[in-house]
Amino acid sequence: MPQWLRVSIVIGIAALVVVLMLSFRRDPHDIRTGTVNKPAAAFTADRLDGTGTLSLSDYAGKVVVLNFFASWCPPCKEENPALVRVWERYRTSDVVFIGIVYQDATDKARAYVTANGVTWPTIRDDDGRVAFAYGVFGPPETYFIGPDGIIAGRHIGPIDEATLVASIDKLRAQASR
Amino acid sequence: MTRERALILVALLAILGALAWTAWPHETTAAERVDRITSELRCVTCQGLSVKDSPAASARQMRDLVVQRVAEGRTDEEIRGEFRASYGDWVLLSPPASSWTGLIWLVPLVALAAGLAVVIGRMRAPVPSTAAPSPRELAALRERVAREEALDLPQPDGAE
Repeated sequence: MPQWLRVSIVIGIAALVVVLMLSFRRDPHDIRTGTVNKPAAAFTADRLDGTGTLSLSDYAGKVVVLNFFASWCPPCKEENPALVRVWERYRTSDVVFIGIVYQDATDKARAYVTANGVTWPTIRDDDGRVAFAYGVFGPPETYFIGPDGIIAGRHIGPIDEATLVASIDKLRAQASR
Repeated sequence: MTRERALILVALLAILGALAWTAWPHETTAAERVDRITSELRCVTCQGLSVKDSPAASARQMRDLVVQRVAEGRTDEEIRGEFRASYGDWVLLSPPASSWTGLIWLVPLVALAAGLAVVIGRMRAPVPSTAAPSPRELAALRERVAREEALDLPQPDGAE
């Protein structure tokens, strides 16, 4: 086998190992593809409680936390107490939570928010357009939108209180600079 | 016999007509465009299936969106681009050769080229000569055998 070919094979295997190592080190909850670091897709949708519509543009200049959830999704129920605690902590500030129902029946989603203390604005996404615009794979997924309207982060799977607070405080700190 | 021939002729003409009709270039209908685009898009919840083939609710919603975009007059590239903007190249079942995912197409070709290089290298390697030794080489070999026999090396135990 020629020397150059041996060297090429060794370099190829080494490159593969490096790529795999870097991939394993990545946080599987934080997939920075698609919509992250891009302007958040605008939407207007019906509120789950039937009190009219909600537009993302209503909250321009604020830190927005978008949470895709469904009543049939156990991890959504798992993360909900953390969302409730963090919402109570920031609800009087410049932080807004918006819940987006993902492929769920309206009556079941209403029962879910009532039973689980979801008091932040919640909208329906019956045709899935909002989920597609944000690149959602399945609930729960949480997006952090800065006051500049850019999606700063995305969390796939159930989110914990520390991650929520850290992500929100980071965006608030950027906004106050 | 004449009637049988006529039937065969009619059948052949029918087959040829059908082939010509299908091969004849025609305006793509909206439904055909929707089928083509959805067969290229990956279902985001089932992953192994195309949007066209998947029975999942999210695939149905994606298909509805494609139908709407086609009706709005968007091009195929614009519609694919809308999904790529949200999900990246992952959402395409066949990754585009233009981006870094083109490596998926390139690596097999590189591996094939490397394999060919190895085979050609082996084929070009010098083959041991099987030609009969020259009188000079034969004389040298005989002299060497005689010299080694003259050394009278000790034999292993039991050997005669």
